[in-house]
Amino acid sequence: MKTRFLLLTLALSVLTITANAQSVLGGGQVSGNIQIDGQISRADSVIGSSDVPSKLLSNARADILYTNGAFSAGLRFEAYQKPMLGFAPEYEGQGIANYFASYQGERLSITAGNYYEQFGNGLILRTYEDRYLGLDNSLFGFNVAYRPVTGVTLKGVLGKQRFYWEKGAGLVRGIDGEVSLNDVIKAMAESKTRITLGAGFVSKYEDNNVTIISRVDDVEGVQYKLALPANVAAGSVRMDLSHGGWGLQAEYARKSQDPNKMNQYIYKPGEALFLSGSYSQKGFSANIQAKRVDNMGFRSERNPNDKTGQMLYINYVPAITKQHTYAFLSMYPYATQTTGEMGFQGDVMLKLKKETLLGGKYGTDIHINSAVITGLDTTITGGMGTNGYEASYCALGDLYYGDVSVEIARKLSKQSKLTCTYGYVVFNPITEGHAGHLHHNNVVVADYTYKINKKNVIRFEAEWMGSDSQYDKNVDDKRAGDWIMGLVEYNFTSAFFVSLSDQYAYNDGVGNYPSINLGYTKGATRLQVGYGKQREGIVCIGGVCRQVPASNGLTFSLTTSF
Amino acid sequence: MKKNIFIAILASLAFAWSCDKIESNNGFYDEFAGVYVENEEGTPVADKSQRAFLEKYTGVRCVNCPTADEAIAAQMAAYGDRLVAISIHDSGAFTRPFDGNPDFRTDDGNTLSVFYGVAAGGSYPTSIINRSLVGSTPELIDPTQGANISAKVDAILAQTPKVAIEVASSTSNGTTKITTNIEFLQDVDNELTLTLLIIEDNITATQMMPDGTKDNNYVHGHVLRDVITDVWGTVIDSDRRAGTCNKTSVRYTVSPAWVNANCKIVAFISNAATREVLNVAECHLH
Repeated sequence: MKTRFLLLTLALSVLTITANAQSVLGGGQVSGNIQIDGQISRADSVIGSSDVPSKLLSNARADILYTNGAFSAGLRFEAYQKPMLGFAPEYEGQGIANYFASYQGERLSITAGNYYEQFGNGLILRTYEDRYLGLDNSLFGFNVAYRPVTGVTLKGVLGKQRFYWEKGAGLVRGIDGEVSLNDVIKAMAESKTRITLGAGFVSKYEDNNVTIISRVDDVEGVQYKLALPANVAAGSVRMDLSHGGWGLQAEYARKSQDPNKMNQYIYKPGEALFLSGSYSQKGFSANIQAKRVDNMGFRSERNPNDKTGQMLYINYVPAITKQHTYAFLSMYPYATQTTGEMGFQGDVMLKLKKETLLGGKYGTDIHINSAVITGLDTTITGGMGTNGYEASYCALGDLYYGDVSVEIARKLSKQSKLTCTYGYVVFNPITEGHAGHLHHNNVVVADYTYKINKKNVIRFEAEWMGSDSQYDKNVDDKRAGDWIMGLVEYNFTSAFFVSLSDQYAYNDGVGNYPSINLGYTKGATRLQVGYGKQREGIVCIGGVCRQVPASNGLTFSLTTSF
Repeated sequence: MKKNIFIAILASLAFAWSCDKIESNNGFYDEFAGVYVENEEGTPVADKSQRAFLEKYTGVRCVNCPTADEAIAAQMAAYGDRLVAISIHDSGAFTRPFDGNPDFRTDDGNTLSVFYGVAAGGSYPTSIINRSLVGSTPELIDPTQGANISAKVDAILAQTPKVAIEVASSTSNGTTKITTNIEFLQDVDNELTLTLLIIEDNITATQMMPDGTKDNNYVHGHVLRDVITDVWGTVIDSDRRAGTCNKTSVRYTVSPAWVNANCKIVAFISNAATREVLNVAECHLH
């Protein structure tokens, strides 16, 4: 607490001297950003929003960073009074949530305090924060990186993870090494083939002096408690290879016995494989990805008291579905199933040359993407306190998610641009923990932008979604049904914008969601105010998701940086 | 050289941390004989009444204790199942058993007595109802006066209950399964605990009487035998919003020294911080 106070005092003293990035303390600089989001919502029985007892909800944060040569120190003040809808109530409160001091030398880097780190693709370790998900799993402790020679990096981490305003019970330790062969082997220095190899190891310690009853034999009157491992380890090896426009990335990870609430206390070791291949040249790029994940949820507590299900993850399984931006294409985002899934994705981007038959006068961009995610093909062999199941390595299980989208963007004239998108999405509600049939959705989007002059731009967006899902009161999923949407956005004087939109479930669904948004931007400061109805749904970023309840009212957001 | 040392240190650390491998013994578990509390979603409680919980601190060598027993028995008759009482024999001088008599003292009873200042005060009998506090001081009540008890019980029963609780038990092959159902009737801000204990009635043993004589055939009632959970209870692992129902199951082995037919299970909900009791229920041991 004393340390936090000292850091805060230091930061505030510095800020008092200057509000802008200026030289202080012999060449040091202070920079930062502030974001304040607020919400007022009231009840609407049709969309399912409720009155907010405290009337105003707000999430606010200020990141302040001081740098002076190789030294830097920073802190983040957060205030949730009270947390906005969809954010965990455990965040309520305010204070310094994150602080650190760091030295970044040529060979050696050391950070003490809160820090974010990633080994490889994150299969065994990735700590990060995402304000829009309400997620922060930063480690609090020490982080060391050492570069003994050019092309070799060794990293070490030690600490406990942030858990809202507390720390998780588990202690995380990890090391990682990465070697760029082209830097280490002289004969490869000039080679067009670039190869990087890496390996990591992470272990978590958590007290195993807890009683979890796995089985009760009522006939013999005997009960059995789980024999829990106090130390759980995960390791990975990886490779990154490129040659000209070609690229290949592979990582394989394994995890030792890790019985926990998420995997229903089974002892099957976890494993994950991630493969990615790419090719690019001028006007064309293609990428294919595949992954197989089996019991690879790795958290620093076996059974955290966390209703979001997203806190205290040590690792991260990369998402390989496209992050759609249009409303109806992103209505059913895919949430990574760390307990088990297989996935494939293909992505092609093509630039048709201008002044050609297909490319038109100004050229045309085509983007095709498709992903399929399935469960594993498993055979149950037992429950809690056993290995749980056996899984075929190659066979596919139930379909979880599939989509294909084709986006064609063409500049029609010097002032106008049209983007048309067609998407088909198949979604299995079991990935959100609900039973039910697969949903099949067809989505069509037209997005037209017209530049009136240098400072005035108008944009129209129309979307339609046809779905075989129907609204069911028992399930109460308000995304069901057929939808239409319209949006008009007008940017004027380069600083102001206003947008009007409405989403309406015209068949087999419920809800009409009109909204208006106003925005003003000057320099690094942006203010946005919105009023209207927000449909309940799920926001996913990188396969990690947050449930967002319906709201009906005012929202505002102020961001600035210095 | 330096880098090799660094790599060697990191590698040895990796091996040192490593992981624990659990060998399977027809499953990754061991036999467990202790008390385990299991939480799951419950169902609404049928009887949502507010009840009061009286803990009497007593002793077999305390001459005024039989007077308290009479007063409490009268109050229990008047309030019926809305007043639950237990007798705690701590480790003070008044509780040392007479030769050839059963020992009613328990470690749990002694812990409670020390916490509430009964042992230190040395005034027996005494009682506390719903573990009430006056400020931060335990509100100890002289249980020899029925009016003292009824005044406090009336005040408690006049309150709108925040939680309702019911308890049931069943025994099979020597293991008793105790099930409690808890329903939140109002939003509760504070963390709550559930405490389960077992009491025994109709125990004949020597007791000092108010006239200074010994009654070798005194019938002791609701004697605390054991606090089944931790003495301060186990945290109730559920939402605390109105309408939430939580079911708890505990498996317990009843001592063969006790007469099952005379035993009862008492279950009560407390504020984890202040330890004040919010509601209580009891059932016969089945």
